[in-house]
Amino acid sequence: MSVDIQLAPVIHFEPGLSTSKPSRGGNLAAGALRAGSLVAFVTILLVFSLTAPYFLSVGNIGNVLGQSAISGVLAIGLTIVLIAGGSNVVTGGIDLSLAANMGLSAAVYATAAQLGYGDATAVAGALLTGLLIGAINAIAVVGAGIVPLLATLAVMNIVAGLELVLTQNTVIPASTPLLTDLSSSGPLGIPALAYVLLVFTLIAAAIVQHTPAGLRLYAVGEFPDAARAAGLPVRRLVAGAFMASGFCGGVAGVLSVSNLSGSTTGSGEMLLPVVVTALLGSVFSRRLVPTVIGTLLSTLFVGFLVNGFQLLNISSVLVSGVQGLLILLVVSATTLLRRQEA
Amino acid sequence: MTQDKAVQGVGRRDLLKLSAVAGAAIAGASLIGSRTAAAEGELSLKGKRIAISATGTDHFFDLQAYNAQIEEVKRLGGEPIAVDAGRNDGKLVSQLQTLIAQKPDAIVQILGTLSVIDPWLKKARDAGIPVLTVDVGSTNSINNTTSDNWGIGKDLALQLVSDIGGEGNIVVFNGFYGVTPCAIRYDQLVNVVKYFPKVKILEPELRDVIPNTVQDAFTQITALLNKYPEKGSIKAIWSAWDIPQLGATQAVAAAGRTEILTYGVDGSPEVLQLVADPNSPAGADVAQQPAEIGRTAIQNVARLLAGQTLPRETYVPALIANKANVNEVSKKLGIG
Repeated sequence: MSVDIQLAPVIHFEPGLSTSKPSRGGNLAAGALRAGSLVAFVTILLVFSLTAPYFLSVGNIGNVLGQSAISGVLAIGLTIVLIAGGSNVVTGGIDLSLAANMGLSAAVYATAAQLGYGDATAVAGALLTGLLIGAINAIAVVGAGIVPLLATLAVMNIVAGLELVLTQNTVIPASTPLLTDLSSSGPLGIPALAYVLLVFTLIAAAIVQHTPAGLRLYAVGEFPDAARAAGLPVRRLVAGAFMASGFCGGVAGVLSVSNLSGSTTGSGEMLLPVVVTALLGSVFSRRLVPTVIGTLLSTLFVGFLVNGFQLLNISSVLVSGVQGLLILLVVSATTLLRRQEA
Repeated sequence: MTQDKAVQGVGRRDLLKLSAVAGAAIAGASLIGSRTAAAEGELSLKGKRIAISATGTDHFFDLQAYNAQIEEVKRLGGEPIAVDAGRNDGKLVSQLQTLIAQKPDAIVQILGTLSVIDPWLKKARDAGIPVLTVDVGSTNSINNTTSDNWGIGKDLALQLVSDIGGEGNIVVFNGFYGVTPCAIRYDQLVNVVKYFPKVKILEPELRDVIPNTVQDAFTQITALLNKYPEKGSIKAIWSAWDIPQLGATQAVAAAGRTEILTYGVDGSPEVLQLVADPNSPAGADVAQQPAEIGRTAIQNVARLLAGQTLPRETYVPALIANKANVNEVSKKLGIG
């Protein structure tokens, strides 16, 4: 297997395809679920485009893409950790500090901008903050050997506390040329954030799905023992995944400042939706594993759902309920199937 | 189609008027009653889609204003598109973006941090959608319906200063100076205190937070009471709204320091109950009339769409509830 992975050419590769042979029934069911979730996605888009006025307009689709940018970038960060840590929710890879990371990075950016520093310094500050948080997570998980769930939970609290100290729990308005560009509309009247999301996804997908390093992440996540035996630097790869996730938190921080014209409180509320989005992403991949494109689709799925409900004038009280129900259905189906495969 | 609806609307309104008059005649109701019905009948939102964007509905004020707006739009024959951001700025911005794409006949924004919402209110305005606001002044809003916050701030400050006999230390929660109504109320407190040299605002000022406002205020005040253990070293606690006041009042009562009086704004039912309790340290709560504010904002939308010019601000009177008159005020607000 190690030979396989190391010699794998840099082309599209479905990880683990050669590792286990799931039963034909399981395969069929998995195929059905995969197809089913795509069909569900397309059906929902169709229903909305037929019933909800303005749904199909370029402006609205651009809006949804733009609105999904922040949660999408965060969910992609989490996806990388899920890949490297394995998808067991309790003992596997998870980064609970992501949303708080975004909040602190945003606060750093906004504070730097208010102090009169230029965009370059402010962006560097935000990204370094994100990377630093990722490094702390990596040390706690890889160095101290703490379960990611607990390690990142602790880091989340530290980071949220630092954000409170920095912002005094107030809104810090910020306005810089970069922020103006990010919150404006690009070609076709589509928000710049929408383009940012697409470009970011493409880059992340290229790195994670199409480079040797990315493939090794999958090996480490799915079969850590085999990966170690094959001589892969397991600890370095897991640490790298947390750093990448931290970096995503920093990027999301910058995007959030542009979207909200400053840093605001309550970033922690993003955490659970992002976790759910990243977990849901598996159903949009061929082997029901976390992938970057799968996560993008799942982010857009949730985005279109919320958008469609608003366009149909369905009370926002119902949105979270229906969303939760759909997610429960999909996630339980995936879990059952994976168990069957194992 | 719009014309059809308008014609239909007139027909229905006429019927309504007729029935109101007939009803009045039959029931022998007072003349004033029928005149009010006729006057309100002139406003209509028939065939109009009115977007109502609330920052949140977890406080008494927002919930009352939000629900009253939805009801009022329906009553005037319009279709409300109501969205509630649950006090999440990201969600609020997304909802505003989508609302702009929905091209409603008007958007009414309830509360919100100005720096967060203003760029999107501007985009709505640029898209030709009239924007009205409730309790948040913005250059992009045609009209802001609000309580007279200068009056509220002054009334509350004067009540406080008079209750403590014009001297002593006061503790102030000032965590939301970025929210315009809070800033005005705070400035009015400072203005009043300026002329009472023996009244001192303790430094550092406390910062109230959202969420966990009550617990946080409780914790902060408990800590502060330990720092100032002598009776009389603190005379009163002021906050720009009454949810921190709730936590502060509980902390003062729990510490047995009921000589300290608490002051706040909004008329939340649980705080009005405390003001009504003669043993509670809750001193006064200025009650806004959120439902009335909500209705007024929607009536302003109808006026605007009918071609009338609106004033920059429409003030709905607020009522100060102190130990002496709290029952009266509660009755007027329809609670208690």
